[in-house]
Amino acid sequence: MRVTANAYSNSLIEQLNALSLRQTRLQSQAASGQRLRLPQDDPGGMRRALAIQAEAGAAAQYQDNIARQKDLAASAYGALKSLTAISNRAGEIATLADGLRAPEELASYAAEVTQLIRQAVEIANTRHNGSYLFAGTRNDQPPFTLTAGASGNAIGVAYQGNVDGAEFEIAEGLALTARVPGANLTGTGPRGLFADRGAGADFFGHLISLQQHLAAADVAAIAATDRPALLRDEDNLVFHVSQNGAIQARLEASKALLSDRLASLDSQLSSVADADLAQTLVQFNATQNAYQAALQSGARVFDLSLLNYLR
Amino acid sequence: MLGLFGTLDLASRSLQTQRLGIEIAGQNIANVNNPAYARQRLELATAVCIPTTLGPQGTGVDAVAITQLRSGLLDRQIQNETSVSGYLETWQSALQLAEAGLGQTINRQGAASGVAGASGQNGIGDALNDFFNGLQSLSADPASPAERQVLLARAADLASRFNVTDQRLAGLQTQLNQSLEEGVRQANDLLAQVAALNEQISRAELGAPGAANDLRDLRQSKIESLAKLANLEVAANPNGSVDIAIGGATLVSGFRVAEQLEIYDAGSGQWLVRARNSGAAPTLTGGSLAGAIEARDGEVASLRQGLDQLAAHLITEVNAIHRAGYDLAGNTGADFFTGAGAADIRVNPALANNPSRVQAAGVSGAAGDNQIALQLAQLATRPAPGMDGQTFSQNYGRLVAALGQGLASANARIADQNSVRSLLAGQRDSLSGVSLDEEMTSMMKYQSAYQASARLITVVNDLFEALINAQR
Repeated sequence: MRVTANAYSNSLIEQLNALSLRQTRLQSQAASGQRLRLPQDDPGGMRRALAIQAEAGAAAQYQDNIARQKDLAASAYGALKSLTAISNRAGEIATLADGLRAPEELASYAAEVTQLIRQAVEIANTRHNGSYLFAGTRNDQPPFTLTAGASGNAIGVAYQGNVDGAEFEIAEGLALTARVPGANLTGTGPRGLFADRGAGADFFGHLISLQQHLAAADVAAIAATDRPALLRDEDNLVFHVSQNGAIQARLEASKALLSDRLASLDSQLSSVADADLAQTLVQFNATQNAYQAALQSGARVFDLSLLNYLR
Repeated sequence: MLGLFGTLDLASRSLQTQRLGIEIAGQNIANVNNPAYARQRLELATAVCIPTTLGPQGTGVDAVAITQLRSGLLDRQIQNETSVSGYLETWQSALQLAEAGLGQTINRQGAASGVAGASGQNGIGDALNDFFNGLQSLSADPASPAERQVLLARAADLASRFNVTDQRLAGLQTQLNQSLEEGVRQANDLLAQVAALNEQISRAELGAPGAANDLRDLRQSKIESLAKLANLEVAANPNGSVDIAIGGATLVSGFRVAEQLEIYDAGSGQWLVRARNSGAAPTLTGGSLAGAIEARDGEVASLRQGLDQLAAHLITEVNAIHRAGYDLAGNTGADFFTGAGAADIRVNPALANNPSRVQAAGVSGAAGDNQIALQLAQLATRPAPGMDGQTFSQNYGRLVAALGQGLASANARIADQNSVRSLLAGQRDSLSGVSLDEEMTSMMKYQSAYQASARLITVVNDLFEALINAQR
């Protein structure tokens, strides 16, 4: 084959172009650590990477939702602890109020129960992130209102929330809520914390009854009705405490699952998008050597000409 | 017998011939870097013999022709491959612009939180995920003004990315239309030049076919420029001219331009090419004109249409659920998005100006109700109707992969095409290209012959002198 003056330069330019392109690609892969950056790099890989990224984004959001559920559960647990203390004290007073107590003593117990009721109402109107924790979904207003008598004693506590829980997802298709409705007066739906028709619990009603019986020194009624009623309230509280613990355990388990899932997605994305650095650098070195060889041999060839030997 | 005068004449013609040889070597050297040039060679023949009693006696050398070393077969192959390259390069370039317009990249280094933040900064995919995650956050705290504000900001970002991407792709389609217009203008210009060169060649070659070397070089380079724009059929005529047809329509016939090309609007901004007089549309299968049309009506149009449908489905699905919800004031019936597709999707301004108007609740008067927010968030994982059983992000992933596949295919085909073109160019260069070493040796050869011929004249002159002095 006849080799002409421009054959060298044309083929050298082509070779250098091809090697430069390869060098640029490999350098970019080495610098970014990615073999997949643009859709053209690997269309199928890009599709998988986008799907993995969407799933990972959703998983991160579920983790965020779990953190919110845990905050809710922790707030609810704080309230449950305080309520349990109130319930215990009320039960204690109901036990202490027997026929051996003087009416004055019973009256002072009655005053203490009034304070316990007020404290419980305060707990029942606990807010979490600006909304009322035990109001169901009608949580922009205090769920419980206390009606007081002329002497400051509690006459009634009304519930104006609902029983809806506003469940939200902690995994795909798995929605729950750590919120507890303050009262369930219908007996259907989730169990109310302070009052629940199904469980026969009515914490405020029973405390008010105890307060009234103490004030009236009616120890017989206390023994006959208030003590068993308060026990039902306590059972209801225990149910909610265990329910809260179960939800917290479930949230922890879901969180661990999501962490594993995120780690697995990260490894999947890595296998789709990341460059094998060792292999990339070896290829880069080989390309760089070829580039240098092309430049050197090209320069030698250009240097030689018959013209150099003619005078 | 030639005699002294005959020998002097022989030497003189030899001098002229060797000088011509040097001139041709000079012409070749001068055009060494002219890509359109095919090297020339001086054809020599023995001059007419004189019959003598001793036998025929030579009278020197004659320069009979200056020929061009060019292969019609290679020229035609290169012309065809030039059309294919023109097509692929324009197609590839358009798809690269579409890919840039889409702006979807994977950026692992920029990931703030590992895999969950691994997508690109500019893609719609990222904004789509953020939007649905914003709805999840709202479902966790439906009354929160902050969550509502974040959701609206993310929705506005998503809408704006749809708008910008659609604008970019529409701009690309307009650019491709403009490139089509520019290509047709160039093609008409080149057709006129080929017709004019046909006439010049035909006149120059009257009685000497194939003699107009430099004009043929020029015409071949114009034909190859034309081939870059469209697929050509070139037919040579006996008078040295060539006829040129594109996709079945004869455009140059002998010395005249039979037809010019023009652009016309086939409807909805879809510009196409046709013959100006007959109105017939040539079948464009190669060249940058076909590449621009193919990319514009193929991958770019599919991508734009796909994004438009995705946005339209998003608007329909989100609005259908959102309309049934209630805002914090108990209002209902408002749309979340306005618009009909990717070009005009916006967050309803009534909501954007007042986050409390987001209808997250399924019942009135319950600020903490999240039924609608939850249903909207669950759209992320629910196959949307009319999208082949895919979710929104799966559908988007399919669009991105289709564009990537088109571009990857264009890249591979261009790499193959470059090999073919480089091989053919090497073959043509091997035949027609100028070798400086060869021309230098040729020059030395003619120089020596010239010096020897001059020496012959000196010798004849000495002989004349001896003859004249002998008679004194």
